[in-house]
Amino acid sequence: MDALTLQAKDISVEFPGVKALDGVDFQLLPGEIHALVGANGAGKSTLMKVLAGTNPDYSGQVLLDGRPVELRSPGAAQQMGIHIVCQEVDQALAPALSAAENMLLDELGRKGRLWINWRKVYWRAEELKGQLHMDFDVRTPVSRLTLAQKQMVLIARALHSNCRILLLDEPTAPLSTVETEMLFGLCRSLVRDRGMTIVFISHRLPEVLEICERYTVLRNGRLAASGPITPQTTADELVAHMLGGEMSAVCRTPGAPPVGGEMLSVHGLSSRDNSVRNVSLTVHRGEIVGLAGLVGAGKSELCKTLFGILPRSAGEILLEGSPAPLRSPAEAVALGMGLVPEERWKEGLFLKESLSFNLGIAGLKRWSNLSFLSQKGLDQNARTQMEALEIKTPSPQQRVGLLSGGNQQKAVVGKWLAADCRLYLFDEPTKGVDVGAKAELFQVIAGLAQAGCGVLYASADAGELLKVANRIYVLYGGCVAAELDAAHTSEEEIMYYAVGGKSPFLPTEQREGEVRT
Amino acid sequence: MDWAAVIALGVAVVVFALLRGGSFLSAANAVNILRSMSITTIFAIAATITMAPDGFDMSACTLATVSSFLFASLFLWFGLPLWMSVVLTVVLTIVLYLLTMFLILVCRVPDMLATCALMFVHQGLGLWWTGGGAVSAGMPTAWGTAPLRTGWTEGALAIGAAPWCILIMLACVAFAFIFLQYTRHGRCLYAMGSNRTAAAYSGIPVKKYRFLAGMLTAAILAVGAIVVCSRNSAAQISGCDSYLMPSLAAVFVGRSVGGAEKPNALGTLVGAALVAVLENGLTQMGVVYYVLPAVKGGVLVLALVAAYGPRRRSAHVIS
Repeated sequence: MDALTLQAKDISVEFPGVKALDGVDFQLLPGEIHALVGANGAGKSTLMKVLAGTNPDYSGQVLLDGRPVELRSPGAAQQMGIHIVCQEVDQALAPALSAAENMLLDELGRKGRLWINWRKVYWRAEELKGQLHMDFDVRTPVSRLTLAQKQMVLIARALHSNCRILLLDEPTAPLSTVETEMLFGLCRSLVRDRGMTIVFISHRLPEVLEICERYTVLRNGRLAASGPITPQTTADELVAHMLGGEMSAVCRTPGAPPVGGEMLSVHGLSSRDNSVRNVSLTVHRGEIVGLAGLVGAGKSELCKTLFGILPRSAGEILLEGSPAPLRSPAEAVALGMGLVPEERWKEGLFLKESLSFNLGIAGLKRWSNLSFLSQKGLDQNARTQMEALEIKTPSPQQRVGLLSGGNQQKAVVGKWLAADCRLYLFDEPTKGVDVGAKAELFQVIAGLAQAGCGVLYASADAGELLKVANRIYVLYGGCVAAELDAAHTSEEEIMYYAVGGKSPFLPTEQREGEVRT
Repeated sequence: MDWAAVIALGVAVVVFALLRGGSFLSAANAVNILRSMSITTIFAIAATITMAPDGFDMSACTLATVSSFLFASLFLWFGLPLWMSVVLTVVLTIVLYLLTMFLILVCRVPDMLATCALMFVHQGLGLWWTGGGAVSAGMPTAWGTAPLRTGWTEGALAIGAAPWCILIMLACVAFAFIFLQYTRHGRCLYAMGSNRTAAAYSGIPVKKYRFLAGMLTAAILAVGAIVVCSRNSAAQISGCDSYLMPSLAAVFVGRSVGGAEKPNALGTLVGAALVAVLENGLTQMGVVYYVLPAVKGGVLVLALVAAYGPRRRSAHVIS
């Protein structure tokens, strides 16, 4: 067996009320791409933070090349050659500085440095740019780069300071397919040419199987399994390790016909910023309507326009037959609408507040008498929602910021359940949510439809829409490109319209047949 | 540390009691301290309500100076009854506050910048009204005629004196505490302070609530201005301006009390009490007046360090 590059033994991390890591062992071989997988809240990011030195309060031992090391600060970790590219790349970048300055930021900020030799800075940046095959000007301010380019800048920063172990925390989540392929190519060449070791976190298991050589699965802060990835390894196998004994319920099959009358009907809706153009759609009571489309096709914008966040320039919205002004979210909520926004930290949650606070905020009137709040009522509501949504935490007083991604998303949904909405808008609700929580979320959504609510569900993942939705509208460039019946369509057809296909879609076999005749 | 400010207050009381004995630990001195902290506390409560939804008002106390001019002129120059002068002062201050709200809510100028500019507007506005001077008993009006009332009445002077100013302070604290802690509106204000976007997306009419917070702030500022005017038995030039920083300090010291981590009425009261106890005790200890601010500030800094220093860096989020 090869000598281990890095060996972490019995690592534990405790947050107030939560044991994030509990005696985890973790090994890295030299020159491998190692997958770290697990459900949300399993402790992946926490383990990465320990290795990157950003979480100094850990217990256990880390050996690097057989020698014990202390990773109590990011600087210490970097000196050992361990670098992290974190999930939210913007946290690690100075947006107003150029790409070149950001690449060399560690060095520019070093102690005892007074003068900056700009020629050298740009020369070195160009060199790094060449190594990573980047295709943008290194003098561009980082704020103008795309997410993929920002990631590259961070990888370049790691490369500049002799990185040996590169930690990539969910790097592919925001990337397109092409960008992902480019990142994988880069990872492979870094391992091959520089003997680097890469740790790769992802929820997308096909990716993991494609690029990684070994895996470690965490579950509830403990080591669940680890081993090599062979051609025989399947995604199902990893999912089984991630979920352990608690196998998740299978998703609802679509196809149940809409039961009620029109809940929402929209005619010729356009937003003032033109991100939504002339959209007409209907949602019936008890129906789940999917919104498909690529990133940037206007799904979020349509949800926000309907919810009164983006001003509209034209169009009519009817809620159960009566015209709805919807000039502000407050009006939308008063009319019984609820939005589960795409960016739950920024737009959906009060991270510093308790679960009870978050779950009650949209329906405060129900728990107030002459505008005096009943804390008891709010706590009772929180407990009811925690049970209904299986939010796993001991108390309604728990701070939402300490919950896992899946539980946080459930808290956002629970906020609207408590407000008794009749029309729910979901905008990418499964982003950053693990398999188990995803299945539970689908069940909750199906339950809403069964209870007679209308649901509009926006997602870039066509497969997911086929699982949950009854009908699907495909958006392209802010317009509705097609309306499809979920029972009689395919991912292929959705993608065809999502990328701008105009003529009526024909399945592949038929198209080929036509060419032949 | 969640109780740092309370502990600092307790330690200060014990130390002064040990060193000065009866002269510090007497009922008369307790009233002394309460009286001296009453005005700062009232202004600090106004700041607490503005800061709950993450607002800020640099011009609060310059506006209070304008209110005190209004109160004194209504009472002395126009000879209105006391109750009417009080009510009119509160109403006029609220009207003046509409300008602040216009800049912040309609013109969308950030709170800090808008109120910085308004400080100067208020200063000029107040002096324009009084004709460039203070308003006190026996002085002619701005337009040169004799005032309708020649002196302060006993009732008007009582507002700023011992039992009443303390009761007014306690009423302000109690109101703000109940309003912010136990009502739906307070919860909405705190939601805005915690995450404004999420609050708006949860259906809270954020502009309406920012406006509500502004109006309450204005009303409490007017009350504070009347107490200042009564205590000085005159509306002096820049009479309230110097209360801004102590009141902001009280709010900041009080933020962490009991782990609230947001501006809260009881914390603000503790913060203001700490400032007042230090001032009173240090004066009794014979610390000369010109060194006193440095000592007072030093103790406040220690209280803040104890409250915020040992805390873990931002909430860890596990994913």
